[in-house]
Amino acid sequence: MRKFAVDTRKPNPLICRPTTYRCSPYMQIPPLTEPVLLVLLSLAEQPRHGYSILKDVERMSAGRVALSTGTLYGALRRLLEQGWIERFAENEALRDRRAYRLTSKGRRNLQVEIDRMKHLTRLAGLRIARKEV
Amino acid sequence: MLALFRCLLCLYPADFRREYHEEMTSVFRQAYDVSKTSNLLAHVSFCSRESAGLLLGALRERARGIFGFNEWIPSRRFDMRLEFRFPRSTVFLMVLIFAGVVLTISKASGIELKYGSSSAVWPSLVLTLATVVSLALASAVFIWGILFALQRTGVHRLADLQTHSSDPRHGLSSGPSAPGS
Repeated sequence: MRKFAVDTRKPNPLICRPTTYRCSPYMQIPPLTEPVLLVLLSLAEQPRHGYSILKDVERMSAGRVALSTGTLYGALRRLLEQGWIERFAENEALRDRRAYRLTSKGRRNLQVEIDRMKHLTRLAGLRIARKEV
Repeated sequence: MLALFRCLLCLYPADFRREYHEEMTSVFRQAYDVSKTSNLLAHVSFCSRESAGLLLGALRERARGIFGFNEWIPSRRFDMRLEFRFPRSTVFLMVLIFAGVVLTISKASGIELKYGSSSAVWPSLVLTLATVVSLALASAVFIWGILFALQRTGVHRLADLQTHSSDPRHGLSSGPSAPGS
């Protein structure tokens, strides 16, 4: 009797199912939403102040994602609590000029998210190509 | 608009305000100054976005303070998680509670027909209702206990797991897997 098997060393992207996502090392972190991803990408380049993040997110998304101040600071607070970013003051006297930067944990998790997106893009390309044939 | 912004900021919890009030005000002021130079439509859009963002943000922070959760209060796509599934046990419990309510109503109707609409039936009705609710709660706790125990043991994950061929390195036996592979 033939045994059906999947070689873990050569995963077939065409049969990837959600259950396998749990097994994949880069699927351990829940997917990020677009605003959070854009905020992290903004900070990946360089440390920024709140207003600079707002403008950069808008620029990166070509005006499609326009964060409000409330949304931005809600996200920043959560990211700070989870240790993905850190806040530092260039000048202690100016509390409203604090800047944010990515921590090593945040950078690592951002890389994981980018890997996940690459995987999805590759999978989508393969599936669409197969459909067109 | 700055006055409205400050008013809306007051809706946030005190610790959040203490931490971010100055920063948020400063950021808003800069964004507002830029928005004033744009056309009317863009300016109105900016004001409405800021107001809605602050209201939702305040609601989220308050809810977080009260209930202690943070991860799945809906705010656009902000906190949505693909892993979240509506638990099947909830559906079962809802059906159970609904059955309890229907049973109570039918029981009450029977009592009303038997004794008429006298106030004497109320103690009996209340007792029946209390019994049904207690039973429903006891069942819920019991089922939740079973599901929690199952989750802890990871049985459902084992059921979902894709099995692999017998790998000499791992010594795993093969099982049902993707056909045609």
